[in-house]
Amino acid sequence: MRTLTTDVLVIGGGATGAGALRDLTLRGIRCALVEKGDLTHGTTGRYHGLLHSGGRYVVKDPQSAEECARENEILRKIMPHCIEDTGGLFVVTPADDESYADRFVAACRRTGVWVEEIPVREALRREPLLNPRIRRAFAVRDGAADSFLATHANADDARRYGAQVLTYHRVVGLERVGDRIIGAVCEDLRSGETVRIHASFTINATGAWAGKIAAMAGLHISVVPGKGTMIAMNHRIVNTVVNRCKMPADGDIIVPIHTVAVLGTTDIAVPDPDVYDITPEEVRLILEEGECLVPGVSRMRALRAWAGVRPLYREQDAGSDRDIPRTYKLLDHETRDGVAGIVSIVGGKWTTYRLMAEHTVDLVAQRLGVTTPCRTADLPVEPLHDSAASAPRSSARTQFAILASPFYMLGHRLAEVEADDSYGDLICECELVTRAHLEAAIRSDGTANLDDLRRDTRLGMGPCQGGFCTYRAAAIWHELRNGTAQAAGAPPATALIGHFLQERWKGVTPTLWGDQLRQERLNELNYLETLAIDRLPATGRDTIVQGRDYVIEEVV
Amino acid sequence: MRTTIVIGAGLSGLMGALALAEAGLRPLLLAKGQGATHWTAGTIDVWGADERSPREALQTIITSRPGHPYALIGVHAVEEAITRFRALTEAARYPYVGGLERNVLLPTAAGALRPAALLPVTMAAGDVRLGGEMLIAGFRELRDFYPPFIAANLAAQGIAARGVYLTMPPAFRRREYTTVTFARMFDDPAFRSEIGRQLRAQRGNATRIGLPAVLGLRDPLEVVAHMQNESGAQVFEIPTLPPSVPGIRLFTLFQQAIERAGGRLQIGSEVIRGEGQDRRLTTIWSEAAARQQEHRVERVLLATGGIAGGGIRTDHAGIVRETALDLPVRAPANRADWFAPRFLDPHGHAIYTAGVATDAHLRPLGAADEVIYDNVAVAGAALGGADTVRERSRSGVSLATGWAAGRILAGLVS
Ligand SMILES: Cc1cc2nc3c(=O)[nH]c(=O)nc-3n(C[C@H](O)[C@H](O)[C@H](O)COP(=O)(O)OP(=O)(O)OC[C@H]3O[C@@H](n4cnc5c(N)ncnc54)[C@H](O)[C@@H]3O)c2cc1C
Ligand SMILES: Cc1cc2nc3c(=O)[nH]c(=O)nc-3n(C[C@H](O)[C@H](O)[C@H](O)COP(=O)(O)OP(=O)(O)OC[C@H]3O[C@@H](n4cnc5c(N)ncnc54)[C@H](O)[C@@H]3O)c2cc1C
Repeated sequence: MRTLTTDVLVIGGGATGAGALRDLTLRGIRCALVEKGDLTHGTTGRYHGLLHSGGRYVVKDPQSAEECARENEILRKIMPHCIEDTGGLFVVTPADDESYADRFVAACRRTGVWVEEIPVREALRREPLLNPRIRRAFAVRDGAADSFLATHANADDARRYGAQVLTYHRVVGLERVGDRIIGAVCEDLRSGETVRIHASFTINATGAWAGKIAAMAGLHISVVPGKGTMIAMNHRIVNTVVNRCKMPADGDIIVPIHTVAVLGTTDIAVPDPDVYDITPEEVRLILEEGECLVPGVSRMRALRAWAGVRPLYREQDAGSDRDIPRTYKLLDHETRDGVAGIVSIVGGKWTTYRLMAEHTVDLVAQRLGVTTPCRTADLPVEPLHDSAASAPRSSARTQFAILASPFYMLGHRLAEVEADDSYGDLICECELVTRAHLEAAIRSDGTANLDDLRRDTRLGMGPCQGGFCTYRAAAIWHELRNGTAQAAGAPPATALIGHFLQERWKGVTPTLWGDQLRQERLNELNYLETLAIDRLPATGRDTIVQGRDYVIEEVV
Repeated sequence: MRTTIVIGAGLSGLMGALALAEAGLRPLLLAKGQGATHWTAGTIDVWGADERSPREALQTIITSRPGHPYALIGVHAVEEAITRFRALTEAARYPYVGGLERNVLLPTAAGALRPAALLPVTMAAGDVRLGGEMLIAGFRELRDFYPPFIAANLAAQGIAARGVYLTMPPAFRRREYTTVTFARMFDDPAFRSEIGRQLRAQRGNATRIGLPAVLGLRDPLEVVAHMQNESGAQVFEIPTLPPSVPGIRLFTLFQQAIERAGGRLQIGSEVIRGEGQDRRLTTIWSEAAARQQEHRVERVLLATGGIAGGGIRTDHAGIVRETALDLPVRAPANRADWFAPRFLDPHGHAIYTAGVATDAHLRPLGAADEVIYDNVAVAGAALGGADTVRERSRSGVSLATGWAAGRILAGLVS
């Protein structure tokens, strides 16, 4: 057993937890974060990718709209490298109620959400694949946001100021003495060791899991896990975020992000945030709704589907999930339940994570007697260079290209590869991951499997979904780690191949047909026929920390 | 006018075209692109799902699984195809060895041991049963071959092996390397001498040296001999991920043999539709560079491949189609039944058994087992009824059914 002491313990390595950690360090408060998976393993890594302008909520949930509009401007300023300034459109399709548009504009004015009607002709010029029969179009300040990069950047900044980040550590109990929480008991999922963390204060930032954590202290929070499914199309069918101009519903947004466009989403209450699947009906619904925005979309190549669970906080019974407000809620358990030393922050959006963190840390700081004000609205988050594993510096020319726009630029990896002439070094050709990127990521501590490398580098996220790079990355991993201290307890490279292929497989099956099915069969030819990895000696004793449900799974 | 048409340039189409050309029918082979030869290892795998010999396995399948492609054509046809294939490769100075009596176990680029019935002689010294320490050597410049990883996995299976990287001779450095650029370098004796010297220095106790399967496109036998002389050890090739140099060699030697026998290949033409009446296919249309071409046909060999090759296509509604002639396809009824939860499920995924059903003459059948066209034969992965990747029988089925289909269409089988 290990014991650790800190002032504030943050539970949850999503956007909110990482944001709170950075905020705490900036106020000089000693802190640590525990996360049961890798960073972004929860909802933050399974969301839609939209930096909300607020437009979506103006009619239904004006408070949320106002928060989004304000935070949108702040995030653009403090982390432009994580945001692609795509702009957004709200369009009225023939299937939509035309009267909503005027209410929408009026509500934008009321809530301070910037909006401008543009001619349909202009909208179609910007987005040629858009349904030519749309009747009205409104421009808003939506963007696309890379939550993986942003969360890592927040955590890294916090580390620089001395915070500790413990991934693959699951909280299994809270330590309660009388009416006070004094820390938590965790299990290190890689070594099986028990880790006891003493803290004067605990922040429960576990999103959809917040009810489970609260229950460990005998507290009751009603969080309704609302599952939403998204489908990534293999290219950017639009370059602007496109929303249906109507009351929020299923499948009404397309977000272009990196090399793909993401269709979504749905909202289905699930009993447990760890147990859900993607149904064929959801996929059909999303594609059908997508047809209203981009006719023909269901015949295009779908890459992958995933689902996330919304951490919707339910104060009293609401009609349906979509009726639960999207604003966040800070629960002070001292005043609410008479239990001191712990707060829970639930609900909200990725877009409002910073505000949620500020609000939370304000309360914690006050309890700890710290008066330093919040600085996260002004102080930019240090950019990681592209990958969390801080890849080597790129050439002066690419640096310039990147700096020319403060925002994330789609072509920057290509620019880098061209400037450095590193085509021959590409390990993942689809996503332009070079050997140097990958090696840096493998060398960084805390990486337990190829799926962790993927979140750092986008390895295996392109059209072939790991067809070539899985083998290459595992072999390079073997070369760098075999016989080193990092290898101790880590699974052998062979098990990594099986694990990553399975992780990729889970996400492709819901949308596997046509060209993507063809691609998968080629991947079978590679791994079964040419490499025969199924004939490698059984590695039954080897274990891998499994991504989603964090069980230790036997890999054969 | 050429009225004997082969659709598809994979192993089954090539083997079928050869049979038709040798029967004097001057076939025209139309293919949208290269076949799976360019993606796969270049061995002929007749059966490798279990430890039985290929012959034993064939005999059981033929009695127990009547819909299996092997059962349709019989052991004799498989033997004939292998005999013709061995003679073909022998004549092209790229001989294949092995047969139905036992599988050879060959190291893969992941260090696994893969069964194969026939293999190019350039891979023969890799047979693990030969014994002797292995040196696995490669180049950092080649992204698809990792000697330390391969050697470690071989060692874990009790095979003495060491992995080393060789140094790229400065005169041969370039910006980007693929298996094909390496094969061209090995065609150059100066490159070989340099690499051979390095291998001799690294050899140690190894009696055989495994290199990536990039040992030349022009005359691989000469390359292997040269490397053996220089290094003082046996040299063998280990297949890589695509593009496959052994596959390219196979394609080239088939192309030359077919053309010599009066056939023609037209790669880049996609067959999009066919028309016929009274159980005879009379016309097909192909498309190249957006121009349509009409072909009157006497006989057609359909060898368009399965889901990987593009001969069988699926869509989001769960519909499964045969793409060239729109023949009826047998497939799982529901998209929900297509996949097993685990990628590496030993039984495979049901959708990959989808394909055209045929009678013993390889004629396509409809839902009630009625013959659709008398003058069409189907071969290779377009045939349903088996997941040949899980069976490790893909190239064996293609070779044998391609040959059988060609002979049937030529009227040489009663
Ligand atoms: C389908 C969908 C689409 C969305 N789209 C958008 C969008 O486009 N734009 C937007 O702004 N917002 C969007 N959201 C909302 C947004 O994703 C979430 O509000 C946000 O990511 C929540 O972040 P979080 O840090 O609070 O929670 P999470 O990211 O879920 O973090 C909680 C973490 O706690 C960890 N944890 C749980 N239990 C334990 C334990 N016992 N021990 C240790 N760690 C534990 C989990 O592993 C998890 O990583 C979307 C949400 C969904 C579901
Ligand atoms: C903004 C954004 C952009 C993205 N862009 C891309 C992209 O360009 N390319 C790309 O490849 N991916 C993309 N993704 C998806 C990403 O690769 C992951 O799929 C996503 O982050 C979920 O993580 P995961 O795969 O670990 O989820 P997992 O939950 O581990 O697996 C993926 C899916 O499989 C399902 N699943 C989980 N466990 C099981 C099980 N036991 N049985 C059956 N099904 C199961 C889940 O419902 C989940 O949706 C993007 C994600 C986001 C948030």
